[in-house]
Amino acid sequence: MELEKKLNILADSAKYDASCSSSGSTRKNKPGGVGNGSLGGICHSFSDDGRCISLFKILLTNHCIFDCKYCVNRASNDIPRTFFTPDEITALTLGFYRRNYIEGLFLSSAIYKNPDYTMELLLTTVRKLRKDNRFNGYIHLKAIPGADPRLIREAGYYADRMSVNIELPTQNSLKLLAPQKSKDAIIKPMSVISSKILENRDERKHYSSSPAYVPAGQSTQMVIGATPDTDLTIMTLSENLYKRFRLKRVYYSAYVPVSSHPALPGNIVPPLLREHRLYQADWLLRFYGFKAEELLNADNPNLDMELDPKSDWAVRNLHLFPVEVNSADYSMLLRVPGIGVHSAHRIVAARRHHSLDYGSLKKIGVVLKRACLFITCRGKYYGNISMNEALIKDSLASAGEKSKDKNPQWQQLSLFPSPDRPVPAQVLLPSITGEL
Amino acid sequence: MDFLYDGSFEGLLTAVFEAYYRHEVPERILSRKYYQESLLDQVLYIRTDPSKAYRVYRSIKEKISPLCYKNVYYTFLSEHEDAATWIYNYLRLGWSMGKEVDSCLADEQVLKVHSIVRKVVGERHRMLGFIRFKLLADNIYYAGFEPDYNIVGLLAPHFSARLPDQNWILHDVKRSLAVLYNKKRWTLTPFSHTGFISASDCAPDFQELWKQYFKRIAIPNRRNPKLQKRNMPVRYWKYLTEKQLPG
Repeated sequence: MELEKKLNILADSAKYDASCSSSGSTRKNKPGGVGNGSLGGICHSFSDDGRCISLFKILLTNHCIFDCKYCVNRASNDIPRTFFTPDEITALTLGFYRRNYIEGLFLSSAIYKNPDYTMELLLTTVRKLRKDNRFNGYIHLKAIPGADPRLIREAGYYADRMSVNIELPTQNSLKLLAPQKSKDAIIKPMSVISSKILENRDERKHYSSSPAYVPAGQSTQMVIGATPDTDLTIMTLSENLYKRFRLKRVYYSAYVPVSSHPALPGNIVPPLLREHRLYQADWLLRFYGFKAEELLNADNPNLDMELDPKSDWAVRNLHLFPVEVNSADYSMLLRVPGIGVHSAHRIVAARRHHSLDYGSLKKIGVVLKRACLFITCRGKYYGNISMNEALIKDSLASAGEKSKDKNPQWQQLSLFPSPDRPVPAQVLLPSITGEL
Repeated sequence: MDFLYDGSFEGLLTAVFEAYYRHEVPERILSRKYYQESLLDQVLYIRTDPSKAYRVYRSIKEKISPLCYKNVYYTFLSEHEDAATWIYNYLRLGWSMGKEVDSCLADEQVLKVHSIVRKVVGERHRMLGFIRFKLLADNIYYAGFEPDYNIVGLLAPHFSARLPDQNWILHDVKRSLAVLYNKKRWTLTPFSHTGFISASDCAPDFQELWKQYFKRIAIPNRRNPKLQKRNMPVRYWKYLTEKQLPG
């Protein structure tokens, strides 16, 4: 099969992986080599679905022995199958990289023959890139669940980031949709990688020359909306993953229907808003000091679709508000809806010079649409409604809607309503020329 | 009184120097490149003097901060009509406050400089991704682009660290400027040849493969052209391989 056809088939199969970040690596180029890492990551393009293309995301093969119901590459699915050789992947990656199309490679694979065999193929490919071609760009490599830990350990020395996909948040869901995968098989490579990262970090403290192991950390992905799991289950799991395995990212991927199995929901529209809310909640866990139990509990096991998770939390905890921007500490500023990490930093820096009033908040770039309901500046409250749960909730929800609403039911009345029928020109003319 | 400088960065710094030592506060500092003379303006022509410029440069770095110097330079690169005036006002504040000037976020003058710097930095970062090289016949990788700001020089260190074993050209078509790199070092130079550049890569497969890949990697159920355009403004598409029509 020619290269172009293979690329089409395997890119098609790879696109449901959400991760595309290329950040976290400071790998330097070595003499005679090509490429380097960029700490903040670089997006090289944006595909038609608006998501960034940073890495060349591709499968080694889509021949799969597994039959996971939610997956496009499941064994029972009737799609064209093919595989790349390690040399083909290497040539494509370098060709793209030298033209600055990509930041590196994201290599994954369906499970061909058995997990060990697949992992070995992946390992061969990245070794070829790093050693034979002296490629120092970013490499994100999938660890295959069930593969020999020795293979996974070795692969980590070539990759910048590794990931094992959790796919579904509970053992039950896995049993239902991916009977050949088990929780243990997924967790094991994760813990192998995370303990090796810790060990490596310690090693590098003493011997700075020892090679870095998965310097950009590991990540994982969950499919959202294919099973009836609640957001509470998902967020608690994410929280544990961040704590226990020090994951860099958990990706959430709205389930896109790729099959019509009776165990799967029949809905056609991917739950994109839910995915968005989960990402918002995820950010609150990682950068805003929230805990999963603060955002969700047994009574509210799912995130509010109307309000973002932070506003929702604030409305439920109105007794903590309003906060005074000139005296509140950083961690409390972060909890104000509408104030993000960036704004909070700016507020803290700016108030060292002079106290802030409403106008100067605006000037330093704080978005006050939501924040104004939860703060005071020099003791004065600028929200136009009182601190009442229902009122604030209403106001927040309508603020969100206003921008979306394309056909408003309401309109501003004009003082001089335009006449229903156009005024004939003869009548209009004298009033323009003044010749009455 | 308006000061007019020759449009170079050294000229701008000289103008700042003169503003201090002549004890004459200029109303505006303008580049001769964009200046439209009017009847009522009183104008002082500044002659660029590298040694005066160097003194200002040293003074900014030592008495204010290296960050401030970066802000000044990036503001200059924005090529905004009022850039020099903003820089002058920002520096005056800087010399009175020292390095603290950059945390006066609510100050009008600081704000103007910071917001234009943010735009220049943003475009530079975007371009690190949106530059597209073509392999020409003589084993030269060529990339043309038309940035809003004069950032071609800011891109050079990134690409010389990343692709040191290639000959490459970064060509700002709008300003007829280019960075040339010969596997050893890069130089910024006026550049307007385009005749030798054919539209296609001499290894066209990669362009074609990339276009195919670009099409395939999008999830059809999630199509979102609005988001795509927000992240990748249409004005940059002219030079993006994946946005060229096939053939």
